[in-house]
Amino acid sequence: MSDPALVARHLRRELEGDPPAVLVADADLAVQPGKFTAIVGPSGCGKSSLLYLLGLIDRPTGGQLLFDGRDLAQASGDERARIRLEHFGFVFQFHFLLPEFTAFENVMLPLRRLGRLSLREAEARANQLLGDVGLAEKGWKLPEKLSGGERQRVAIARALANNPRLVLGDEPTGNLDSVNSARVVELFRDLAHQQGRAVVCVTHDMGIADLADIRVSMLDGRVVEVREQAPRT
Amino acid sequence: MLGRLSLLLHIASRHILVRRRQTGVAVGGVAVGVGFFLAVSALMVGSQSDFVKQLIDVAPHIIISDELRSPTPQPALREFAGGAVDIHGYRVRNEVRGLKDWQRILASANAIPGAIGSPSLSGAVTLRLGGRDEPLGIVGVEPGIEAKVSNIADKLRYGSLDNLEKVQGGIIIGEELGQRLGRGMGDIVPATSSNGTTKSLRIVGLVKKGNSQLGSSTGYMLLREAQSLLGRPFIINRIGVKLADPYDAERVAGTLEARYGYKAQSWQERSADFLSLLLTRNVIMYTVVSAILLVASFGIYTAVSNSVADKRRDIAILRSMGFSEGDLQLVFVLEGMALALVGVLVGWMLGWVLMNILGGLEFHIGGDVQHIPLDRSPRQYLIAAGASLASGVFASWLPARKASRVDPVDILRGAV
Repeated sequence: MSDPALVARHLRRELEGDPPAVLVADADLAVQPGKFTAIVGPSGCGKSSLLYLLGLIDRPTGGQLLFDGRDLAQASGDERARIRLEHFGFVFQFHFLLPEFTAFENVMLPLRRLGRLSLREAEARANQLLGDVGLAEKGWKLPEKLSGGERQRVAIARALANNPRLVLGDEPTGNLDSVNSARVVELFRDLAHQQGRAVVCVTHDMGIADLADIRVSMLDGRVVEVREQAPRT
Repeated sequence: MLGRLSLLLHIASRHILVRRRQTGVAVGGVAVGVGFFLAVSALMVGSQSDFVKQLIDVAPHIIISDELRSPTPQPALREFAGGAVDIHGYRVRNEVRGLKDWQRILASANAIPGAIGSPSLSGAVTLRLGGRDEPLGIVGVEPGIEAKVSNIADKLRYGSLDNLEKVQGGIIIGEELGQRLGRGMGDIVPATSSNGTTKSLRIVGLVKKGNSQLGSSTGYMLLREAQSLLGRPFIINRIGVKLADPYDAERVAGTLEARYGYKAQSWQERSADFLSLLLTRNVIMYTVVSAILLVASFGIYTAVSNSVADKRRDIAILRSMGFSEGDLQLVFVLEGMALALVGVLVGWMLGWVLMNILGGLEFHIGGDVQHIPLDRSPRQYLIAAGASLASGVFASWLPARKASRVDPVDILRGAV
């Protein structure tokens, strides 16, 4: 197995209080590239909290988070933002597109912020990404003119804009009907298997969890089981 | 870097354009502030510089007269300086009137670059007409030089300063005095000086009404003729100095006085009371104007603050995408700056229109059509823009900081 993309060691997240509420307790996890990892557990078990810690959006109160051999748990906000921009892509339960920007402009946001491509190259890439999710013709529309499934696909295209090594999803299918949901899961599996990215999804949908390569089960803030599953189609 | 800025500006401008009404109110506030600042300051600065110009021009910038600020110290005091001797109640000896050695003083005044000194002799005569005595102060001048030092030539209704040279016994008096005496151009008035000399003078010029100083009690004559009429040949008792830079008068007056001992009075000293009045006026003006701009910045604060509150979700999304805290802070500061900038541009136009309205008003004073003096210098525009932009940045800074501190986790998880 290749080197993990991201390693959590004794990762801990507590809320201040007396006694402190423990959201995530000493989680150990290695996120593998090329694999689709699903984090499952009952609601309130801390699976989303763990995802936000892994995604550098929330800051752990203890433990380490190793990326490229560096501990990012206590890195500066700017550095963590930079890594999110370059290497991480997020998809949420709600589409979370900026309402004043067209689908195309939404995809352009991370590309322009990173600024690695020229404007023309960035536009070409944004169009290609929209084409990949089957929305080549709808890039000029504002999010409110798109259906729920379409919005989520735009959000996925945006998450992939800077060619991230890690794609993180927080119930990305939670708001979709079964057809769209299956489509999104298929896309995520492709991202891992075809493109070699590390994909981590929080879900309560056992159908999706069954399709994952690695299933991480959580209970009361603890990782209770990490199980590799046989590849399925 | 430039790409980042243009991206953040793009986001900021979308936020502003979506919220039309808030944007309109904020921009309107700044525009009204800037517009009225321009109109008020144009009025204030304009009238002030007009007023100061009149203060400066009403007489030479520096007047050196044959007075001493304090009498010459007694020999005993000079000898025992430091308090061993004190003398009270002595009689001050009458100095001989007139500037001693005035050619040297005049030469050193003329030696200052751009400065012109004009010697003159003033004294009192009585005009005797039909049993009526009119006291008149006369000033003997060299017309060619005096014309360069004072603006008397502009104030003549009839005749000119040169006429003094052309006509034997010529005198220029105020229009009002002429009317009172029933005399006009070319008429003859007999004048008697205090030493008994009487001479017939011919009116060769009349000063416009409304110049209180020159109007009713001063007459201009040729220096030579004034000296002979007053019985003080070759004597002058006043040197008026005009400087290239009027605001240098105080310093130059100080050096001249220190060197020659005669009282040299600058126009600032002469009008110190007015100048202190102007200072108060300026303080009032800038207080009012800052208040206007401050109120305008409240509009920006509200607009940006509401924008931050409305866009908490977008802030969280952008953060998750990899935008830094600094990026988001800048987005909202840029919003404030953009509002201020548009406000400034609209305000400039408003101010320009207001100034044109004010400038178009006509007043009829003393037979002349007069306009309100306005200062339309670009300096006012720049001050207004600078103050508004600065207050815009300041007003958006606080909400922008709040924006950068939004915790994305809560919003992304509990999103609506």
